[in-house]
Order: sequence, then C-alpha cells, then structure tokens
Amino acid sequence: MKILTALKRVVDYNVKVRVKADHSGVDLANVKMSMNPFCEIAVEEAVRLKERGIATEIVAVSVGPAQAQEQLRTALALGADRAILIETDEELGSLAVAKLLKAVVDREQPQLVITGKQAIDSDNNQTGQMLAALTGYAQGTFASKLELSGDKLKVTREIDGGLQTLELALPAIVTTDLRLNEPRYASLPNIMKAKKKPLETVKPADLGVSVASTLKVLKVEAPAERQAGIKVGSVAELVEKLKNEAKVI
Amino acid sequence: MWHYQAPLRDMRFVIEEWLAAPADWQRMPAFAALDGELAAQVVEEAGRFAGGVLAPLNASGDRQGCRFDNGRVTTPDGFPAAYQAFVDGGWAALACAEEDGGQGLPQLLNAALLEMIYSTNHAWAMYPGIAHGAYECLRAHGTPELRERYLAAIVSGEILPTMCLTEPQAGSDVGLLRSRAEPAADGSYRITGGKIFASGGEHDLTANILHLVLARLPDAPPGSRGISLFLVPKRLPDGRHNAVRCDGIEHKLGIRGSATCTLSFEQAEGWLLGEPHKGLAAMFVMMNSARLHVGLQGLGHAEAAWQSAAQYAAERRQMRAVRRPEGSAEAPADPIHYHPAMRRTLLELRTLTEGMRALGYWTAHLLDEAEQGADPALRARAESRAQLLTPLVKAFFTEQGFRLASAALQVFGGYGYVQDYAVEQTLRDSRIAMIYEGSNEIQANDLLLRKVLGDGGAALRGLLETFRAEAETASALPECSAFASALGHYCDRLATAAEGLAAAAAQDPERPYRAAGDFLRLLGLVALAFAWTRSARLCQGRAAAPFHAGKLESAAFFFAYLLPEADHRLVLIEASRQPLPFLPE
Amino acid sequence: MAILVIAEHDNAVLAAATLNTVAAAQRIGGDIHVLVAGSGCSAVAESAAKIAGVAKVLVADEAAYAHRLAENVAPLIAKLASGYSHVLAPASTNGKNYLPRVAALLDVDQLSEIVAVESADTFKRPIYAGNAIATVQSSAPIKVITVRATAFDAAAGEGGSASIEALAGAGEAGKSRFVGEELAKSDRPELTSAKVVISGGRGLQSGENFQLLYALADKLGAAVGASRAAVDAGFAPNDMQVGQTGKIVAPDLYIAVGISGAIQHLAGMKDSKVIVAINKDAEAPIFQVADYGLVADLFEALPELERGVVVVS
Repeated sequence: MKILTALKRVVDYNVKVRVKADHSGVDLANVKMSMNPFCEIAVEEAVRLKERGIATEIVAVSVGPAQAQEQLRTALALGADRAILIETDEELGSLAVAKLLKAVVDREQPQLVITGKQAIDSDNNQTGQMLAALTGYAQGTFASKLELSGDKLKVTREIDGGLQTLELALPAIVTTDLRLNEPRYASLPNIMKAKKKPLETVKPADLGVSVASTLKVLKVEAPAERQAGIKVGSVAELVEKLKNEAKVI
Repeated sequence: MWHYQAPLRDMRFVIEEWLAAPADWQRMPAFAALDGELAAQVVEEAGRFAGGVLAPLNASGDRQGCRFDNGRVTTPDGFPAAYQAFVDGGWAALACAEEDGGQGLPQLLNAALLEMIYSTNHAWAMYPGIAHGAYECLRAHGTPELRERYLAAIVSGEILPTMCLTEPQAGSDVGLLRSRAEPAADGSYRITGGKIFASGGEHDLTANILHLVLARLPDAPPGSRGISLFLVPKRLPDGRHNAVRCDGIEHKLGIRGSATCTLSFEQAEGWLLGEPHKGLAAMFVMMNSARLHVGLQGLGHAEAAWQSAAQYAAERRQMRAVRRPEGSAEAPADPIHYHPAMRRTLLELRTLTEGMRALGYWTAHLLDEAEQGADPALRARAESRAQLLTPLVKAFFTEQGFRLASAALQVFGGYGYVQDYAVEQTLRDSRIAMIYEGSNEIQANDLLLRKVLGDGGAALRGLLETFRAEAETASALPECSAFASALGHYCDRLATAAEGLAAAAAQDPERPYRAAGDFLRLLGLVALAFAWTRSARLCQGRAAAPFHAGKLESAAFFFAYLLPEADHRLVLIEASRQPLPFLPE
Repeated sequence: MAILVIAEHDNAVLAAATLNTVAAAQRIGGDIHVLVAGSGCSAVAESAAKIAGVAKVLVADEAAYAHRLAENVAPLIAKLASGYSHVLAPASTNGKNYLPRVAALLDVDQLSEIVAVESADTFKRPIYAGNAIATVQSSAPIKVITVRATAFDAAAGEGGSASIEALAGAGEAGKSRFVGEELAKSDRPELTSAKVVISGGRGLQSGENFQLLYALADKLGAAVGASRAAVDAGFAPNDMQVGQTGKIVAPDLYIAVGISGAIQHLAGMKDSKVIVAINKDAEAPIFQVADYGLVADLFEALPELERGVVVVS
C-alpha cells in the first residue's frame, strides 16, 4: 500500500509569535521553523504502518517555500521513501493546497493520505477534509487510532465529549490528532541516508492548478490585553460575569 | 519555566560563516559528501534529542543520584533508556570512521552535539563521555585481536569504556600510582590495585564495561615513565565476571547522576594497549579531544546559564530602571534586564558564550584538519595548532563556565539559590570541569611551558600570525578598525610577555609556573578578541537583521568591557617576577 | 442575503452551540434558515423552529445522517447551499469535520472558527493558537464559515416560530460506516489540557476539603490543581501542583481558591484566559492577576458557586 503524507513548514511550536507593528501579519523574521507537530504525527503513523509491513511506500509532500525542503528531508530521515516539494513563496489557503495535493494524489494513487488535522499557524483544520471532497475519498479526521484490515480502515476519532469509531473504505484521507502516536527522533544514520532519497520539486503551474484565493487578510492584531481585574460582590455576580462577560461558562 | 533551546542559529553562524567549514570539508576526502545543509540537519536533530530526551532528566537525575548496593550501581530513572535512545539514534558513533561502523562525520559536528549534551545533562553525558577517546586509543594502540573484539562494540555503544587512572595518593601526579600488572602466560596480564574517581566505573547502562587502567609492570621505571595502559573488561569474552569490583560511589557537589566509583582490581584479566611503560603515550591520542570535550562542558554550562538568566531577567520585574528602551511601556516595575548591572551581566554571558563557541568549534575543526586534511603539511600545522589550543580551551572555558554560572545565578536573586530553578545545578555541575582531565593549573603549565616555551615559541607565533591576519582583513572595514587595532595591540603585548618569560626562565625556572595561570587567561582573552573581530567583520553591513545586530553589539561590548582584563593579566605576568614565599610546614 | 445554519444536535436534543451560531448569523444579517440533518430528529427540528430569528427549518431525516458522517451530509449541504450567501456551522468537531468538505464541493475557501462578524463579508478569527487575531475579507460567492460558539451570545431559544420543511436527503455515499461511540466522561480532564482548572491552596485547610473543589469541577468539567503550599502541606499529591515547579496550565478559565498567589504559582497559570480568585484576604497577591476577584470565605462561596453553575454538557 502506498501512503501519501502531507506536511507543512510552520513556526516552531515553542516560539511565542508577535504581531508586526504595521499589523500586516505575524513577525516571522529569524523565527525558528519546524514541521507542523500534527504533521510529525502523520509521518510517524505512516512510518509505523511501513514497519508493520502494511505500507510499502511512503511519499512525503509539502506545499511551501524552498526551505520546506528541510522538513521534507526530516520526513525522509524519519522513514519516508520519496519527497515532493510543491514550491511556492505565497501563503496559500487550504483549498488551494487541497487542489495541489489532489494533483499529487491523481499522480501517485495512494491508498491512504495522512496529514495533520491543522497547521499551528493558520489553525484552519480544512485541508484534509477538502482533499477528501476533491478526490471523493472517505475522511477520518482527528484520528487517535488507526486499524487497517484489507481494504477497510477503522478510525477512532477524538470528538467533543469522547471518542467515535468509523469504518472507512479505502482509499481514504486521515487527519491526525495529538494522541495518535508519539513521533520518534530521527536517527543519525537515517539522516545521512535521507540525503540520497529523491526529493522532487514542482511548481503549482506544473500541476495545472490555479491557486487564487477568495480570502484576503486585512489586518492582524494581538489579542485583547488582559484588563485590570475587578472585585465582584457576590457569588451570583461572579457567575453572571463568567457567563455573560467572560463567556467561559 | 525555562526549557533549553538549542542555539542552532549561532551554531550555523560559526560552522558556515565563522569557520566556513563546508568549503574545507570539500577539500577533505572523508567529508566530501558533507554540505552545510546536511550538517545543519544533523545539528538540529541532535538538538531535538538533547532537549527532548536528556534535558527532562537533568533535575531528576540530580535529585535522585545513583544508588550503590553491594557492588552494583543503579543510575537515576531514565538514564539507561536515554542511553539506549542515544545509541539507537546513532549519536554515539557520530565521529567514528565509517569502516568501523560509525557515521564518519567531523569532530566539528560532534562538538556541537557534545555542547548540547553538556548543556542539558552533564551527569548523563559522563557515561558515554570517554567512548570516543577510547575508540581512538584502541584504534591506534590495540592489537588486531583487541580491535576485532571491542572496537565495533564501542562504536555501536553496546559497551562503554571508562578511565581508571586516579588512586587515593595519585591524582595530578599519575606517576605515583601503585596498581600493578603481571604478565600471564598467554600474553594477557593480571591487574591488581585500587582506583578512585572512575566516572561510570560501574552502572546499569550497558551489560559490559571496558576499563582503561593505568598500572605498572614488574620491571617498570619509577614515576610516569613506568606506567602502562591496560584494557580490562568487566565481563570477559567467555562470559565470566572479571575480578573487578565497585566498592562504592562518591557523594558529590555536582554531576550527581554520574556514578563516580571506587574500583578494586584483584588479579583482573586484561591486555596491554600500546607499548610497555608507554601508557601515557598511548593515552596521548585521546588527550586533544578529551580536553576539547571538557572545554565544551564549560561552553555547555555557559549557554545554559545564559539562556535561563536571559529568560528570567526578561520576565522578572523589580524597581524602575534609570533608562528604558525606546517605545517600552511605563509600568510600576521594569523587567530587570533594563537595569544596567543586569545588562552588563547578561551581555557578558552572551558574549563569552558565543566567543567560546567560535573558538571551541575552531579547535574541533582543527582536529578534523589534523586527521583528514588533504596534505601532510596542512595536517601537521593543524595538529600543532590544536595542541596549543586544547589546554587553553580546557582551562579557560571551564573556568568561564563556572564563573558565568555564578553570574547567572545572581540574576535570579534569591530564587537562584533555590533548587526549583535550574541555575544552581548548573553552578554545581560546572565546577568539576576545572579539576578533572588535568586540573586547570596543569593545563596552564602545559600551555606555557610545553606548548609555548617548549618549541621556542613557534606554535604561538603561528597562532598570532593568524590573529594578526584577521586584524589586517578587518582593519579595512571602518567599523571594525578599532577592534582590529586592539587585537593587533594585544597580540604584540602577549608576544612580548611570552618572550619575557622565556628569557626570565633561564635565571628563574619557577617564573613561568608563577605566571602560567595569568598567561593562559591572557591568551584566552586575546583569542576571544580574534573571535569577535572576525564575527564583527562578517556581520558588517547586516545590522538590519537582529541576529547580526546582536553580534555587532556583542563585539563592541567585548572590546569595551571584557578585553581590558588583558591589561590586568599582563600586569600580573609582570608581577610574577616577585617570588612567592613558601608556607610554613 | 440568506444564511443557512447547520444545526448541531444528537438527534434528540438541539445543542446550545446552534444558538450561538444563529447569533453569529444575525450579526451578518439576512434570512436565517437552519438545517437539521439527522435520523429521528423531529424534536430537534421543533427546537430549532423556536429559535428567535430563524425563518425556516429544513429537515433531512434519514438513517444516512444518524451520525452526521461527512461523506453523507456534505453533498446534502452543498446541494442546498446554492440558495444561500452564507453557510454557517458551529466549530464543534462535527462542524469542523463536514464543513470543509462542503466548501471544497462548492469550490470555495472556508473561514474557520470566526470570533467576530465585522460585516457580511469580513470576519475575525484566531490564528497562531490565538496569539494573533486576523481580520479576513471573503469575496467568495458563498461564504462557508465555522463559528466559535463561545464568542457569540446565544440567540434566544424561545420566541421563534419558523416553518419546518422536510427535505429529501442525498442518501448514503457508502464510503464510511459508523461503528461506535464512547461518550461517557469517566475521568476528569487532564490538568495541562483542561479548558477549566480549579486549584486549591492552603486555605482549603485539609485534603478532605478538596472534595469541595472536585464537586465544583465535576459541574464544570474541570481539572483540579493545587498550589505548592497545599501540596507541601499534604492536602494534594505532587502531580496536581500548578506552578513554576509543577505543571504549567493555560485554560480558558482558572479558578484559584484559597491561594495567596505567590510568584511560583502565578508562573504556572498566568497565561490562563480568565482568572478568578476566591480568597478571604483582600490583600492576597492573587487579586493582582485575577480578572474577577471575590473576597469571601471559600467554604461559603464554593457550595454557592456549585449551585450557581449550570452543568456543562
């Protein structure tokens, strides 16, 4: 079985981002970039399926700038066999990315596509689902467990209030949630071997995909500052404020 | 809560720009396939390992310590698993030759890995600490049978070597050791004696341990000329337990997760490494890298101290500062990193750490050139340069590491004295590096007497030539000309001081010994001046980026606030004319 | 303009989040229709029809929609969507699951988890884990949007009288099958990932008194933490400690009960969205960081608080 795993280069999860003074976006100059944590989990799951003999080939793909090659090399070091970079310096929306991935799916014909449920920069949580729609595949989102048998995939999903298990027909798209697995560290021998694994670069135009978006970011602001606190006079007042003002209960 | 962040940006700067190592690798056949990108990936993944696997065990390892029970040592929770992950990850064999099963990567990258391991868990790092050196020693001096039997296992990490040199009456003066080795009929030896301060002499990380033991043969000449080196395994090839026993572990100020063992050898079976009575010569091959590695401990601690103090000082608010940065908000109390005393301390932490990184990695790169350089002349020069620098790196970096840890602790105020914050452990852990692997006083003597005066000053002259060449290049840039001129000035004064000591030594053989410590510190400062001149030159015109602007600020800070200590050291070198009285008996 | 709101429900009960989503729709303006896709869900449709401001309720009642499998509901919604300018769903795991599939079927971009409506085509949403808020304008012919329920005051659940129209469903796509669900909340949430955390300090005076916190926590679906002082005094185990040397938490709501507010503790919870402090000492440092402070005897305040909060579903 061939698995396609899609990953994104994003700000490292440890970084505390700051909004630019001109509100045009977030300041990414000199900020450490890494593989999206949910995508790391996706790569790990694919590698585990290969180690169990279920997957025969893992293709890693990323839509991003030239430097995204670093993350693809990491995926190769973790166990992917081949990598494809769809190179673009534009920050593309999820629909455009899904269309680009569909072109790769058409070419590669994987039985399973595994990707992170959301990127920690855009927090869209759309790409996997959109890809499923465009390919007509089944989707198993927020997966915390996968069980393959034959041409069926049982996915246990994290939903509000608990867990849900679905059975999907293959081919299918899976998006990963945090509890699916704990990603491994790349070993040094594998990092060295990854250098020789194929990494292909293509442009969106090569795939015949238009990446125009209907969304425009007008401005980016910091979240509201914590205001000075107030003292409430009674429990009743506290409850009222928490419900109606803070909206946390 | 502070969490270690691998200083990848600065590491890349040093490797790719300050050293321009990738270009040099192209000229070394062993590393021709290595490029900057792959090197950066290796370093980044090493950083993830150190931060993710080793750092979480540092405080717990310190609190728990090792347990000794009837000859067996249990290391702190998680240490064996972390070691297994280290080995499985291939990190243990990073710089071992490919034909021996290693990754064949340069010492330079190993230095980056080691810096991070020491920053995150010095105690744990003591266990695999000697492996690379033992690998080099066995490769150079082991018989084909011994190499066949043990080399692959050392490279793979299956077996861990330890150094067993020190005895209760023999520390710096290893020539006073009394352990004996008697030849056996089959060409092996029986070793008897007691060793102390053997780090990792016993533990639960590997099934077998390889002791490298210094002992005297029956016909040995007295003193250090009569010492031989033996390889004594804990478990013999046929599976029997050898006659070596751990009698206890030390309770120490720091690196408490490292088992510092007292070992008894009672007719233990072992084999000779190298020639009879030439044990110290056999160990020589390990010395450069061992000293560099200990120096990297100092760097690792300095980096950890700097990171944690910087984060704390940015968040802790006390009092209003005399001046505030432009655009900063008014508040009842300012972050303490606004206060001048704190700015001074933090800048010192940053500047010395980054300067040491450049010098330390340079030394590692020289070791690569000494071993893998394309032509013999280049190799010889690199070897000689490395030999000159390693005692400096060992003593200067370790002294700075401890001093900077203390300075960082001060930034935390009372909280720095409390175990909840990591800095007090950094202070305690860093202290030992000034002592072991040849005390800093021994290093200072080695530097001045053997490495500087011993060859008539040739190696020093070569080093100063390199420093002056950098000053020359930098002086062409107006913004660097002051730095370049200061660098040139202190090169001259250091050269004069060395010549003065050489001349004086003829009349007063003790003179250099009195001046050695100050000479070492002076050379350290001049070397840092070289490092910062080059860094400033490379960052000229790039101040738009915060990283490069920071470098330029650090360079200016170094020359204004730190380099002046060189004058003090020069004064003290002069002062060493004055004899030192002896203490009453 | 007409807005289609996809109802969140479990076939029996309409979820509160639908009301908040309708409120967001009201901010956009225009006729609001609610789609109830489910199985045996007529009661839900009836509740939806009562929502103030809803003009029409569309019901697609079929076995295929029993568990709102995305492969089944997305084609249904996509087919309906052409009549609307906006399609809204709550940003529940359900909504997040099927709505992007709808957007792709319609070949439009989606806006995830909006927290404010600026105009009919401009919205605010959190990015970078809420460390930044983006104002985004959409020129899509149909705006497909998930709504963060807590950001909008719920529309009234009574007062509306919408018509209910039955729809033919789009049938089974046959790509996925519901196998099972585990919804019982057996354990309390994990401290570091809980949305609500209630911590007790030395003011609780004993380990037994922590029961008061557990009772409130159950009501709020919260995790329970403790200050270092409480742990040192033996009132709570080590792994409950929130603080510099314990766990660092950043829940939506942090309630500090009987905690003075030492810097150690603050380091562990200062990034919480809303901080509440209950302490009988008006000068306790915790009040410096609390958004809402109640100077009261915790032994009186806690039971009252427990009675006052609605059980979180």
